Amino acid sequence: MTEEITVTGERRELISFRVGEQEYCVDIMAVREIRGWSPATTLPQSPGYMRGVINLRGAVLPIMDLACRLGMPVIEPTVRSVFIVVKAGDRMIGMLVDAVSDILSITDDLVQPTPDLACDAVRSFIRGIISIDGRMISEISLDRLLPEREALAA
Amino acid sequence: MDELEAIKVTFFQECEELLADLEGGLLAMQDGNDDGDTVNAVFRAVHSIKGGAGAFGLEPLVRFAHVFETLLDAVRSNEVPATPDLVVTLLRASDVLADHVSSARGLGVVDEAVSAAMAAELKACTDPNAAPAPVAAPVVEAVAFEAAPVAAAPAETLIGADDALDDDDLGFDFQPMTITIDEQAADVAAAAGNVWTVSIRPKSDLYRKANETALLLRELARLGPIEATLDASAIPPLDMLDAEAAYATWTVRLETEEDETAIREVFEFVDGDCDLEITRGEGLAPDAALAALLAGEAPAPVAAPAAPEPVIVAEAPAPVVIEAAPEPVAVAPVVEAAPAPVAAPVAPAAPVAAAPAAAKTQQIDVPGPGQSVIRVDPERIDRLIDLVGELVINQAMLAQRVGEYGIAPSSNLAMGLDELEQLTREIQDSVMAIRAQPVKSVFQRMPRLVREVASMTGKQARLVMDGENTEVDKTVIERLSDPITHMLRNAIDHGLESPEERKAAGKNPEGVVKLAALHRSGRIVIEVSDDGKGINRERVHSIAIKKGLISPELQLTDEEIDNLIFLPGFSTADKISDVSGRGVGMDVVKRSVQALGGRISITSRPGQGSTFTLSLPLTLAVLDGMVVDVAGETLVVPLAAIVESLRPKPEEVRPLGPVGSVLAVRDSFVPLIDVGLTLGYRDSSPPPTEGVVLLVEGEDGSRAALVADAIHGQRQVVIKSLEQNYQQVDGVAAATILGDGRVALILDVDAVISLRRREPPRPAEPTLIAAE
Repeated sequence: MTEEITVTGERRELISFRVGEQEYCVDIMAVREIRGWSPATTLPQSPGYMRGVINLRGAVLPIMDLACRLGMPVIEPTVRSVFIVVKAGDRMIGMLVDAVSDILSITDDLVQPTPDLACDAVRSFIRGIISIDGRMISEISLDRLLPEREALAA
Repeated sequence: MDELEAIKVTFFQECEELLADLEGGLLAMQDGNDDGDTVNAVFRAVHSIKGGAGAFGLEPLVRFAHVFETLLDAVRSNEVPATPDLVVTLLRASDVLADHVSSARGLGVVDEAVSAAMAAELKACTDPNAAPAPVAAPVVEAVAFEAAPVAAAPAETLIGADDALDDDDLGFDFQPMTITIDEQAADVAAAAGNVWTVSIRPKSDLYRKANETALLLRELARLGPIEATLDASAIPPLDMLDAEAAYATWTVRLETEEDETAIREVFEFVDGDCDLEITRGEGLAPDAALAALLAGEAPAPVAAPAAPEPVIVAEAPAPVVIEAAPEPVAVAPVVEAAPAPVAAPVAPAAPVAAAPAAAKTQQIDVPGPGQSVIRVDPERIDRLIDLVGELVINQAMLAQRVGEYGIAPSSNLAMGLDELEQLTREIQDSVMAIRAQPVKSVFQRMPRLVREVASMTGKQARLVMDGENTEVDKTVIERLSDPITHMLRNAIDHGLESPEERKAAGKNPEGVVKLAALHRSGRIVIEVSDDGKGINRERVHSIAIKKGLISPELQLTDEEIDNLIFLPGFSTADKISDVSGRGVGMDVVKRSVQALGGRISITSRPGQGSTFTLSLPLTLAVLDGMVVDVAGETLVVPLAAIVESLRPKPEEVRPLGPVGSVLAVRDSFVPLIDVGLTLGYRDSSPPPTEGVVLLVEGEDGSRAALVADAIHGQRQVVIKSLEQNYQQVDGVAAATILGDGRVALILDVDAVISLRRREPPRPAEPTLIAAE
């Protein structure tokens, strides 16, 4: 057990990635692994952003098209496409993104609230916006990403 | 501290078992089996709970258990007759006791008023003549005291009893001596001439259970002045001494106003572990007592000048065994020790064999290493099952790869693979068998439920259970409880009539609710039936219309009307009660059952009652399925639902309505359902004649013909939950992983049928829209 060292406020590490032309990020602690694209089994009766499910070492892992979830055009998977396996609540999901860019180390004061003009859907998925070196990176709020279990089952 | 916690956990596990025994015994008594064994078993259960609770200082539990136990003791000794009314009271008391246990465990709170009322009721039953029981006070004390590492006492057999802890082993030239302990004796003051002689002869087991004679003497001293005499004559010379044996015997002269029960209470926790003899008057010489014991009967008062009759010879209810170490020894079934009189006084080895001669002795027989039962953390088994699942998938994958290389079936490699497959199957079966459990664990909670619901609704109900030993995988067991609870409540609340109505209808005022479990064609079937009034179809129909669940013009068969009660939001209870009528009725049950790959249906006969039939797979871990291709996707159809598969001839397919078509199977017509279309894999269906048709049967017995593109064959697949990482998907029961490592979905046949029903192309059809 090593004591956690805190530097100037709560320093966090984030993994940033590209979705279309935009940059997003998630807390690195939520990321379990990053894998290359492999074809998914389509799920019937599911929202368009659900790409289907894949076998992740014996577990059934749903794959979500992040672009589509955020209201953008569906990602056409290429060899460079990856999915980021994240833990959201008690569930694991794979987020299909175009490419992983880098790891950021930030303090919370760099995070700005999501501007008003964004549509509600987007706003509820974005925790805040980080500005680094002139880039704008939006942090994804993982707990809202998957629909509530009951909500869709009906 | 953690260790104590661990022991406590074990204690609560045992409590569960004991409570079940208690209830089982009481129910047996209710059925008229009130023989001595049953009553004893019931008494022992309460006694053991009290003992363990005392060790952990669980005061409220101890207090209640004590009152309960006192009554049971009276029943046991036939002082209080076990009338049916009394048994009912005892059953209710067992419920309160269970509440106390839960509360001690930190789950839930005991309603103090209920508990106190119950205790008072028990006391009243114990002592109809209101003779005050002087017992109570000292006992609680004794018990509280036991909270330290359980105390104990006693005398010792000639036989070797044992004991490393025996503090008397310090020197070997013992002379009998007199010890006077008057610690508390002063308080009690010279009791008026009531002299008792208590002879205590510990067995090695007593010490082994960390009991201690000195503490027992101290407890005795609380009752009045004592004089204890140690008889060390049995201690052998050093070279023959067995360090684990018990040799000493004490004879205690006790002056007290308390009665024998109070004295006996002191020895409550060493019952069976020592030979105990309590005699009024200046007692027997130890040797005489011994001789008497060996004679195997109530000792004749030899050598005891003024000795009146010896009162009882160590009658030993099972001692409380709290295993000091949380070892995985498990489940000590109460075995009746052979009441054989101790024969050879020189058998130092047998610790258990030394059953006291008293007639009714019973002992907890801790299973020896040979027949031991192991308590295993279920998570370990689950892990094992998961791993075996992976193994099965991997083995299939390997076989498929090898097959792709075109290796001859007679080659060593192929044969080796065959063997691997067989082994894998066997391992899987064995592992699944580990987790199989009798449904008893769920069933045994139900009598209480029935009692409570019956009293809440003012009905008289008797629960008859059948097939408690039917085994099913633990994953299924866990999920059985809710549906069964719901169905039972429903049966009593809605099914049974009030006693008056029943009388008017010429029935026994007491309704019978039957709960049965059985295996049927690879599934477990649970039936809940009542002999009540049956479903009021007219009313059900009108309610369903009133609530807008079905359209008024719809003509329904009786069976369809019965099944309307599974519609969401359907509740026929006129008034909302605690019991049911919360509007989350049978539809919730149906949903949860379907989620398990199960089916539920109801049959009803007016005036004669209704039967709910619940059928579930034996395990939720594997499934036999047919692998099919649909629109480029691979799907698994549960074999249990498939009646037959066929390739339809063009003349068998008949169009019906604008887009629908039916398949003529022998003399009946079955709707054709294109799976790809229903699940949204494709927009239009190819002619059914190009594909294959799986004739399936839904849970309600309705048939449908599912159209798929091709059949790959049968396979046993490992079920993987979609909900774990995602959620339930309509039309899909679960997922699995096929030989090529890809995920395939397992079709939910019933859902597909009902999805089809509400498909847009046929909007005009008055369907059971909400039925899904």
